[in-house]
Amino acid sequence: MESVATNVLEVQKKMRIKKAIIISSLFLLTVVMFFVCWFVGVAKMSVKDCFEALGHRGDVNDINALIIWNTRFPRVIAAVVAGAGLAVAGLIMQTTLGNVMASPSTLGVSNAAVFGANLSIIGFAGGFLSSGADFAKTVNTFNPFAVSLIAFLFSSASVMLVLALCRIKKFSPNTIVLAGIAIGAIWTAGTTMLQIFATDVGLSAAVIWSFGDLGRVTLTQDYIMLGFVGAAIILFFCLSWRFNAMLGGDNIARSVGVNVTALRVTGLLVGSLITAMCVSFLGIIGFVGIICPHVVKKLLGHNHVVSIPITALTGSLLLLFADTIARTIANGIALPVGAVTSLLGAPFFLFMLFTAKERV
Amino acid sequence: MFEIKDLKFAYKKSVPVLKGVNLALEEGEIGVLLGKNGAGKSTLFKCVLGLLKATGEILFDDKDISKASRTERAKLIAYVPQELSFGELTVFDSVLTGRIARFGLIAGQDDREVVNRVLEELELTHIATKNVNQLSGGERQKVAIARALAQEPQMLVFDEPTGNLDVQNEQLIFGLAKRIASEKKITILIAIHNLNFAMDFGDKFFMMKDGEIKHTGGVEILNENTISDVFGVKAAILEAEGRKAIVYGG
Repeated sequence: MESVATNVLEVQKKMRIKKAIIISSLFLLTVVMFFVCWFVGVAKMSVKDCFEALGHRGDVNDINALIIWNTRFPRVIAAVVAGAGLAVAGLIMQTTLGNVMASPSTLGVSNAAVFGANLSIIGFAGGFLSSGADFAKTVNTFNPFAVSLIAFLFSSASVMLVLALCRIKKFSPNTIVLAGIAIGAIWTAGTTMLQIFATDVGLSAAVIWSFGDLGRVTLTQDYIMLGFVGAAIILFFCLSWRFNAMLGGDNIARSVGVNVTALRVTGLLVGSLITAMCVSFLGIIGFVGIICPHVVKKLLGHNHVVSIPITALTGSLLLLFADTIARTIANGIALPVGAVTSLLGAPFFLFMLFTAKERV
Repeated sequence: MFEIKDLKFAYKKSVPVLKGVNLALEEGEIGVLLGKNGAGKSTLFKCVLGLLKATGEILFDDKDISKASRTERAKLIAYVPQELSFGELTVFDSVLTGRIARFGLIAGQDDREVVNRVLEELELTHIATKNVNQLSGGERQKVAIARALAQEPQMLVFDEPTGNLDVQNEQLIFGLAKRIASEKKITILIAIHNLNFAMDFGDKFFMMKDGEIKHTGGVEILNENTISDVFGVKAAILEAEGRKAIVYGG
């Protein structure tokens, strides 16, 4: 018996080493990708220029410093934070709803954010107080912060509405998914109605807003996202073992001492608010929240103690990579990063799905 | 001592499912709950586990736990269901989830030691690092028992734990449960469909019908009349070489 126990300890040690190697490698890869994404772009700067520009922050006469610090730095931070946030939100949605198809937008937050943004752009000409949808006002009063704020308010209200409705059915996972789809459909219908009454400029602005784009983000918005996403990931990590118990079903989780309803509502609410914040600031970035959790779970299993930090790293890595491709592939035109994540992610995901060995 | 006093529950007010259930078990005693499908056994278990809110008293050594927190209850009562689900976790991690009520947020070294000890006792150490979903039905049932034991409870509730197992694994699980009750002095409340297994296994029997316990006592209460009353079938008790067996029909 002792030798069996010793063998098991050896295997556990090897598994821990394997996981540590994977986490370190991913971390290192993310750091490398962070610099690649930061230093590569439409303005062809050498690595030496980039490193020199790092030391000239705030120098308005140094064009390279302006590009590195004012243009690119906010977007690489956004890629790291939003990638991690969306990926972890997807993982938690899948666990709390017991549904592998669940995504960060399952509760209809993205549809609500798009409606809010459309209302702001088309209804209020892109600001808070202006009204009407004429060309001049859309151009002159467009206030990105107002658009993001209204998008966030609508998506948060939508989450609250779905959860309040589902309270009647004691937060049954299937009811939550279906209610999310129904409420999302209402927001989409509202968006279509608004777009019918829009001017060409308003409609273009509204449609372009909905494309996921890291270029529009400001450093202040980055810090707001960082604070919220960071706190949310720490909270989820602290609840890892409770999420693990939930994998065995609600009754088992309750029998080992987990307040399943409170955990489900917390996971859905915080996960949806992460999504609401990212969509409001950046537009829709699809697939990160589905592909990253699935790849991590397939390779390393479902233990949230491991899958939460690794999913976060994978999300950051994917978005950094996608943004680098989005800014370099089209010869001077930055493609919407949301389209690139799906374009790159989906084939890789299919490859993983059909070729990866099942985890032991 | 574990006692249930006048436990009542209804999903809809007009249709009571439990109509005042009373039962008592001493420490380390095995109580077998018998009854047809729909008699209220699973509902009774859910009330005991706190998954449903019933009226009445659930007592451990005269202390009412019916209003205890989920964590406090998990330290006293553990559950082994019929339908097993673990997620893609290793055996070790699955069993460690049984310690949540003890460790709160982060599992400590003492929790890992408890899990290692339970795995050793149940002879699961050699598969500790395997994915639970890749194990056989019998092994998975043992993992569910290990998870329950990791809670270090005073009582185990088994809801038809061998419903999906072959005879060999059925005997293995019942043998294990009996050993746990006698060695660890853990009280067991179990629902079993197979009356012959039940006779060999239980210390005390509770025959349930329409939300009430109709007959309570030792193995002697399992006779033609009570079986006919509770299950609505004819049965004969045969005795050979000092052992009893129930034969249906005739």
